[in-house]
Amino acid sequence: MAARVKQIKRRGRTFLEQLYLIEVIKGMGVTITHFLRNLRDNRNLYVRDYPEVKPEITSRWRGRHRLTLHPDGTVKCVACFMCQTNCPSECIMIEATERLDGVAEKMPARFTIDLLECIYCGYCVEACPMDAIRMDTGIFSVTGTSREDMVLELEDLLATPGGFAEHEQEDR
Amino acid sequence: MSGTEIFITIIRVGFGVFVPLSAVAVMVWMERRGAGFIQDRAGPNRCNVLGFRFGGLLQNIADAIKLLFKEDVIPGHIAHKFYFILAPALVFITALLCFAVIPFADALVLGASTYLMQAMPLELGILWFLAIIGFGVYGIILAGWASHNKYGLLGGLRAAAQVISYEIPMGLALVSLLAVYGTVNLTEVTQFQGRLLFGVIPMWGVVLQPLGFIIFVIAAFAETNRTPFDLAEGESEIVAGFHVEYSSMKFALFFMGEYIAMFVSSALIVTLFFGGYQIPWLNTQTLVAHARPVAVALMLILPAAAYVFARWIGFNNPGPAPNPAQRVRETKVYIAVVWSLVALIEVILLGYIVAGAGGAADRILVVWLQTAVFLLKTFFVCFVYVWVRWTLPRFRYDQLQKLGWEKLLPLALFNIFITGAVVVALG
Amino acid sequence: MSEKVTLSVNGHEVRVAAGANLIDALEAVGIDIPHFCYHPALGADGNCRMCLVEIEDGRPPIVPACKTPAAEGMKVVLESEKIKKIQRDILEMELINHPVDCPVCDQAGECTLQDYYMKFDLGDSRMDVAQVKKDKRLDFGGGVVHDQERCVLCGRCVRFTRQITKTGELGIVNRADQARVAIFPGKPLNNRYALNVVELCPVGAMTSRDFRFKQRVWFLKKTPGVCHGCATGCSITIDHHREKYKDARIYRYRARHNPLINGYFICDDGRLSYHLENENRLETPLVKGVPVTPTEALDAVRTHLGQAKYPLVVVSPDCSLEQLYAAQMFCLEHGAKVSGYSAAAIVAGDGDDYLIKDDKAANRPSLNLLGIDTSREYLREALGHADLVITLNNDPFTDGADADLSEMMKGITTIACATHHCEFFDNADIVLPIASYSEYAGSVINSDGVLQRFGRAVVKNRPVPELLELLHALGGPVADMGAAWAGMRTAVAPLGAVDPDKIGEHGMRLEGL
Ligand code: SF4
Ligand code: SF4
Ligand code: SF4
Ligand code: SF4
Ligand code: FES
Repeated sequence: MAARVKQIKRRGRTFLEQLYLIEVIKGMGVTITHFLRNLRDNRNLYVRDYPEVKPEITSRWRGRHRLTLHPDGTVKCVACFMCQTNCPSECIMIEATERLDGVAEKMPARFTIDLLECIYCGYCVEACPMDAIRMDTGIFSVTGTSREDMVLELEDLLATPGGFAEHEQEDR
Repeated sequence: MSGTEIFITIIRVGFGVFVPLSAVAVMVWMERRGAGFIQDRAGPNRCNVLGFRFGGLLQNIADAIKLLFKEDVIPGHIAHKFYFILAPALVFITALLCFAVIPFADALVLGASTYLMQAMPLELGILWFLAIIGFGVYGIILAGWASHNKYGLLGGLRAAAQVISYEIPMGLALVSLLAVYGTVNLTEVTQFQGRLLFGVIPMWGVVLQPLGFIIFVIAAFAETNRTPFDLAEGESEIVAGFHVEYSSMKFALFFMGEYIAMFVSSALIVTLFFGGYQIPWLNTQTLVAHARPVAVALMLILPAAAYVFARWIGFNNPGPAPNPAQRVRETKVYIAVVWSLVALIEVILLGYIVAGAGGAADRILVVWLQTAVFLLKTFFVCFVYVWVRWTLPRFRYDQLQKLGWEKLLPLALFNIFITGAVVVALG
Repeated sequence: MSEKVTLSVNGHEVRVAAGANLIDALEAVGIDIPHFCYHPALGADGNCRMCLVEIEDGRPPIVPACKTPAAEGMKVVLESEKIKKIQRDILEMELINHPVDCPVCDQAGECTLQDYYMKFDLGDSRMDVAQVKKDKRLDFGGGVVHDQERCVLCGRCVRFTRQITKTGELGIVNRADQARVAIFPGKPLNNRYALNVVELCPVGAMTSRDFRFKQRVWFLKKTPGVCHGCATGCSITIDHHREKYKDARIYRYRARHNPLINGYFICDDGRLSYHLENENRLETPLVKGVPVTPTEALDAVRTHLGQAKYPLVVVSPDCSLEQLYAAQMFCLEHGAKVSGYSAAAIVAGDGDDYLIKDDKAANRPSLNLLGIDTSREYLREALGHADLVITLNNDPFTDGADADLSEMMKGITTIACATHHCEFFDNADIVLPIASYSEYAGSVINSDGVLQRFGRAVVKNRPVPELLELLHALGGPVADMGAAWAGMRTAVAPLGAVDPDKIGEHGMRLEGL
C-alpha cells in the first residue's frame, strides 16, 4: 500500500509572517467573528444548559464503578486482584477471603475504590476476567462532602445498579 | 475655597478612585463573558439575586464576597510578613495612583476659574505615570521574593526582567510622541489632538505616530503583565508565579491591581493616541458653541440606540433557559429599566434645552459628554486587551526578551530619529 | 570442581559439569529446559515428559533431559519443530482437565504451568467433552490445602514425603484422567516439614492455609534472609509488601536453596515464624510503662548509665554478630559486665536429625567467638552486685529453672531493649523498641559454623532503631556495620580473613571456631 504523502508547508518564515503584527491581526479577526456572532445571537453558543439539560451518556461512557452480581444475586467478583494490579492510580484496595457458598473459592472481604484517586481510565474493567467490575452506572457526577464520602466500599459498589439495559451493553 | 471648587474637587477625586474600582468589575465581566463568546461558550451567567442576573455581572459580586470571607492564609514558612502583606497593597495602590493624572474631560471653565478634569491637577502628566507604574512592579517582585517559594521567586524575577526590557521601548516611544506634542501635560496633549490634520483627519496620536503607537501598545501589554506577556504568572509553568502563596483579599488586591493597571494603561493609550475625551471633528470649542443642536441630536440618537439595545436584550436574554417564564420576566424588567433611563435623560436634556441653555450649563453638558466618550474609548481599549488575551498564546521567555531588545528598542530609536527630523523640518 | 564436558545446544558450544543431568547442567549456564516432575532434591522421575529434548545423531533421538547425563560431544536440540510440538502437546494434555482457576489460584504469577503455557503454547482449547471433575479444597492436614483439579501429577509432593520426610503420607491413586494425589483416609500430613510440598508443587494444587488468599504473589518483594527460628539458620526468602496506606509486613517465608545448610527445604515452624515479626511488636519506648518519645527515653537511659556503678549487659544469642560486637565494645566503654546466658532459647528434645535443632537461638556460636561469657554462674554473680541491668533483645530466663535470677533482677533498675512486648520487659524501668531481624542487615553463625549475611528486608513506616544504632546513640564506640567488621577482623581471629562483602548468598563455613 502506497503511503499517502501530504506536503505541509512550513509556516512562519516569510517576512510578513515574521512581522507578527499581521498574523496577530488575522488571529484577532478570527476571534472577533466568533465573538460578534455569539454576541448577536447567543443561541449560537455550543453550550448545554447543565444541570437542567443532562448530557446523553452512552453505554460506553466510563462512569462510576459498580460490582456486578450473578443472576442468582451472588457476588461475581472473585478477588483476583487483576483490577487492582492494573489500576494505574492504585486506588483499588481489595482484601480477599475464602468463599464458602460454593459459587467460587475466593471472594472479596473488602473492596475499596478511592474515587478521589481514580482517573476513570477503565483499565480495571478491561482487566476483570469475571466481568465483575463495570463502569456502566451512568453516574458521571461524583460528588461528596468529605474524603470519606468519595471512598466506595464493597456494599456501595454492589448496591449500585447498572445504568443501561443489557442489550445496550451488547452493542458495544 | 468656594463651594463649587470643593464640589468639583470631590467629583474629580471621586472619579479618579471609583471609576477604576468599578471598572474592575466591568472588566472582569467583560473578560469572562468575552472569553466565553470568543470560545463559543457562555461564560458566567447563572449567578442571580431573585432571578436577576445582570448579564452575569452578579458573578463578580459573588466572587468578591467569597474572596472577602475566605480565610486569609499566611503560610508558616514566610519569614518577612511585612513585605508579604505590603506587596499586594503596593500593586493595588500604584495602579490606582497612575490614573490620577488622566484627564477625563477638557478643562472646565466656570467664570474666571479653570478646573482641570483629572483627579490630581498635576502638570507632570505622563512623567507621573511613568514614575508610578514602574513602581508597581516592585509589588510583584516583593511578592515573589517574600513568598519564599520557588515559583513565586521565578514569577517575581520574570516580572522584573520584563519590566526593565519594556520600559525602555515604552519610554522611547513616548519621547518621539512628546516631541510631536511638545508637552508632558496630558490635558494639553489631548487638546492638541482636537485639531485636524489637513482639515479632515483628526490629529490623533495614532495618526501622527503609528510606529510609536504600536511600540507603546506592545510595551503597555508587557507592563501590565497581560497575555501574551503574562510570564510572571505563567500558570502552566510556574503555577501562578508571584501570587502563588496569596489567598483571600490579598489575592484579590493583586487581581484588582492587575485590572486597574489595565484600565489605566487603556486610558493612557486613549489619551495619548486616540484623542482622549475628544469627539472627532467636534472639539471643545465647537461643542460649547453648538451645545443646543448637540443636545437635540443626543435626544434623537438615544432612543434609537435604546431601541436596538432593548431588542437585543429581548432576543438574547431569555436564551435556552431552564425556567423560561422567569427569564422572560427578567427580560421585561431590563427593557423597562432601559427605557426609563432613556426617558430620564430625555427629560433632563429637554429641561436643559428649554431652560438652561447657554453659559455654564453648556460647559457642564460638554464635560458629561466628553467623560462618556472617554469612558467609551477606554473600555474599548480594555476590550482589545481581552480580545488579545483570548487570541494569542503566551510568549516564551527568550522570545519575550528578543522582542523587547532586538525589535522594539531599535524601532523606537528609529522612530525618534524620523520624528526628530520631521519635527525639525516642519519647525 | 567437577570435570567439565563440552556439548552443543542448538548449535552453540557450552561447557558444563560432567555427570549432571541435562536440566541441571544447562541451567548452570543459563539455558532452561522446561520440566514439571524433576526437582534437584527429589531426583528425576521422568513422568511428565515436558523435558524431552532432541539429541542429534543420538540413539534414541528424543530423550527426557532429566534422565540424561550431560556427555562429551552431545548435540542437544531444544528448538526444533519436533520438540516444540511435543511441548505444546504435553501442555495441551495437562490442560485438558485443568480448571484454569488462575484468578483465584494463589500460584498464579509463579505457576510453572502458567508460565509454560505463555511461553510455549498459547493455544486454544480443542476439547468439546466435559472436563473431569475432581475434589477441590481438600484439607491434607499440616496446613496444606489440596486442589486435585489443578494437579499435574508430577509426583513431587509424593516423592517428598517418601524420600525426604520418609513419612509417606501422600500417594497417587487411580489411573489415567482419574489419577489424583490423595492421603490415606484419616491419615493427614503429619510431619514438621509438610508445607514444603506447597513450595515444591509446580502448580497451585498445593496451597498453604496460612498464606491462602492473603496476597497476590506479584505484589510481594522478595528479599533473601536467614531464618532465626533455630540454630540451623536456614536460608529463606522473605516475601514482604507494603499495602497502600498500611505498614509494611511479611506475608510468608520460603526456603532459599543453600547447599551448605538447608538444601531446598525449611521446617514448618520456621516457615510460619514470620508471624512473630508482624505481631505484638514493641513500637514506642516506655518509661515505667508509660509511652514516651524516643529522645526522652534515650535521655533517661543516659542518666541511668551515668549514675550506675556496676552496670550489667545481658545480650541475646539472637542478636547479629555485629550487634554483639557493638554490645561488647559498649560494655568496655561503660565499664559494664556482659553476659550471654540464655537458657530460655533451648527446648531440649525438640530437635531432629534433619533441620530442626534444640537451640532456638540463631547466633549462639557468635557469643563464643567473641568470648562473651554464657555461663549461668557468671550472670548470677554479676547480678549479685549489679545496680543496672540492660538486656539487649533478650528474655534470658525460663520461669522454672531461672526463677531465682528473675527474683534477683526485681530489685535492680532494668533497661530492656526489646523487639516484642512481653510481660517481663513491659515491667522494666525503661523499655526501648529495637528492630527485629527482618528489619536490619547483619550476620549470623549457625550451629555448624556457617557464617551468613543478610540484608534489610522490611522497612516499616516508622522504623525503630537497630540495636547497633541504638548502642551508638548511647555512647557505644561502634558506629556502623563497617566499623564493627573492621574491629572484629582485628580482634577475632577466625574472622580475620573474612571479607564481609564477599560472603556469598550461601554464606561460608568459618574455619577455626
Ligand atoms: S478506572 Fe482506572 S484509575 Fe479508576 S479504578 Fe479503574 S483502573 Fe483504577
Ligand atoms: S473486580 Fe474483577 S478483576 Fe477485580 S478482583 Fe474482582 S474479579 Fe478480579
Ligand atoms: S495451577 Fe497455575 S494454571 Fe492452574 S489455576 Fe493455578 S495458576 Fe492457573
Ligand atoms: S500436588 Fe503438585 S506436587 Fe503433587 S503431584 Fe500434583 S502437581 Fe505435583
Ligand atoms: S522433568 Fe523430565 S520427565 Fe518430568
